[in-house]
Amino acid sequence: MKQQLLALVAALGLAVGGVTAQAADTVKIGLMAPLTGSWASEGQGMKKIVELLAEQQNAKGGVLGKQIEVVTEDDGGDPRTASLAAQRLTTRGVVGVIGTYGSSVTEASQAIYDEVKLPQIANGSTAIRLTEKGFKHFFRTAPRDDEQGRMAARTIDKLGFKKVAILHDNTSYAKGLADEANALLKDQGAEVVFFDALTPGERDYTAILTKLKGANPDVVLFTGYYPEAGLLLRQKKDMNWQVPFLGGDATNNVDLVKIAGKEAAEGFYFLSPPQPRDLDTPDAAAFLADYQKKYNELPPSIWAMLAGDGFRVMVAGIAGAKSTDSDKIAAYLHKDLKDYPGLSGPISFDAKGDREGEVYRVYKVDAEGNFVLQKL
Amino acid sequence: MEEFFQQLTNGLAVGGIYALIALGYTMVYGVLKLINFAHGDLFTYGAYLGLTLLTSLALTDRLGFALGVLVLALMVMGLVAVLGAILERAAYRPLRESPRLSAVVSALGASIFLQNALMLLYGARFQVYPDDILPTATLNVFGLYLPLMRVLIVLASVLMMVALYLFIQKTRIGAAIRAAAIDQGAARLMGIDVNRVILLVFLMGPALGGAAGLMVGLYYGQINFTMGWVYGMKAFTAAILGGIGNIPGAMVGGLLLGVIEALGAAYISIAWKDAIAFLVLILILIVRPTGLLGERVADKI
Repeated sequence: MKQQLLALVAALGLAVGGVTAQAADTVKIGLMAPLTGSWASEGQGMKKIVELLAEQQNAKGGVLGKQIEVVTEDDGGDPRTASLAAQRLTTRGVVGVIGTYGSSVTEASQAIYDEVKLPQIANGSTAIRLTEKGFKHFFRTAPRDDEQGRMAARTIDKLGFKKVAILHDNTSYAKGLADEANALLKDQGAEVVFFDALTPGERDYTAILTKLKGANPDVVLFTGYYPEAGLLLRQKKDMNWQVPFLGGDATNNVDLVKIAGKEAAEGFYFLSPPQPRDLDTPDAAAFLADYQKKYNELPPSIWAMLAGDGFRVMVAGIAGAKSTDSDKIAAYLHKDLKDYPGLSGPISFDAKGDREGEVYRVYKVDAEGNFVLQKL
Repeated sequence: MEEFFQQLTNGLAVGGIYALIALGYTMVYGVLKLINFAHGDLFTYGAYLGLTLLTSLALTDRLGFALGVLVLALMVMGLVAVLGAILERAAYRPLRESPRLSAVVSALGASIFLQNALMLLYGARFQVYPDDILPTATLNVFGLYLPLMRVLIVLASVLMMVALYLFIQKTRIGAAIRAAAIDQGAARLMGIDVNRVILLVFLMGPALGGAAGLMVGLYYGQINFTMGWVYGMKAFTAAILGGIGNIPGAMVGGLLLGVIEALGAAYISIAWKDAIAFLVLILILIVRPTGLLGERVADKI
């Protein structure tokens, strides 16, 4: 009886050993993305891009001689869901995590990854304080809001607007950008005639537009996201109000024009890192062609592309560190990765984990609803 | 002053939609004492079905704008009504004898199911109604900008509410619904088929919610699968504000909530708009715990 029991234990032990050995045959990279919720189109794009890149990397032999396995968790575009997703990812044997999109969502997950020292590369989160907390394993391929804030103030100045209305949506991203731009605009002598927030996720913003119109601004700076921007433009046109709008980078989404309608979207300015199709690196052109071939559409936005860059940088970090040890990967990304040829241009990280170099451009929507790069 | 009236019309247009959805909550609550949390999602289905039928059948091209939209509205209302009846059959009737909490949990589950089913069917991206089918005229009345569509929306919602009110108050079936709301047992003894009354309530409420969804889609253009949550929450608040279970209460509550929001945003703070609306709700509930019109128990449905 005892012998049988021993044999059973031994067999179980073998079986468990077998499972762990098998699991170590792949390098797991986590992806945390808003696959559901109101940013789901971004999240789905992130997933498609990262999966395609992983497929291509695996065809080239993977990393460290092993195949890469992408483990995806849905953060729902919501901080509470994100903390659960982060906890799940930390228990699934990933060596690093890509994501996520919204700043407040990333913020909810940072400490969880930091506690187990998992490198995290955020793709859409531009709020300044994310990299001011001293997390050693946090990076981002997205630029920071203060860079965008500077760009917003400079653009408003160059376009010759004096009276500015600023509208945000109380998310940590939009409010951070609005505060930054507000301070800079006041410094350069522009008059900020309106500063307030709307509630995202609603359909009717006419009450806000009526109030904005009462303040009589030369330009409205809206720092929130594209669904609200589209509705604002559409309802502004219904009110017969001709004021120009300048949006932050979260309005850079092809759905903006669909929501607003071409007529209402025409003349809308926004700041953004270059569009996927304006990316001039040869890697990007080849990748976009592959993406189009596989999914029969273009990626939803640059933010999803930056998740792809996050993935490539993570793979480069693992390959460069020759290890899946998180400290070594983080050290390599901080110090040794210089001007890595990313899809969105050269990538280097500073000591805080921020991306170095200027990324923002000014775009304007033309009568056909195309986003046209402006030279200011 | 001009801005005040502009904000008033803004609020009424939003409130009309709230009121239509609130009717669905309040009718179901009146008869079953159940908060149908899936009602907001039925509203979303109205918006999506409207889009699908509009683009696939090209009704407005064939029948002209007015008739096309009317036929479309009837189709959407019919389909969403059927969906409401299926929901009642699948999610609520099996739990009729269970504690009320079970039915509430079932309602939440149905809401999550419906919302995600919609995402899987249509995808997560925003869907957009074609913007060339509607009259884009804007009326200019004494310096107020009133887009023609807004006026039509307010008129349509008021028309539907009045029709519902007359139906409940003046017809025999309406009397049966009111009787079932007051006392199901007694209504059954009087020969009223309570199950059919409940089914009827689950046909009418969702039909109105579906119509509201179609109007939101037509006017605001942009729809997505989560939109039922915000509208559902606001409409539920409106129903409580007016006195849940009371049909005129839902209408008054909806319009009032829309106006409070618009004026709160205009004169206090946009960012605090929802807080102001809920503060008013709390104040009203402190003074009148049953809501504005919730006290006349005899009229309760």
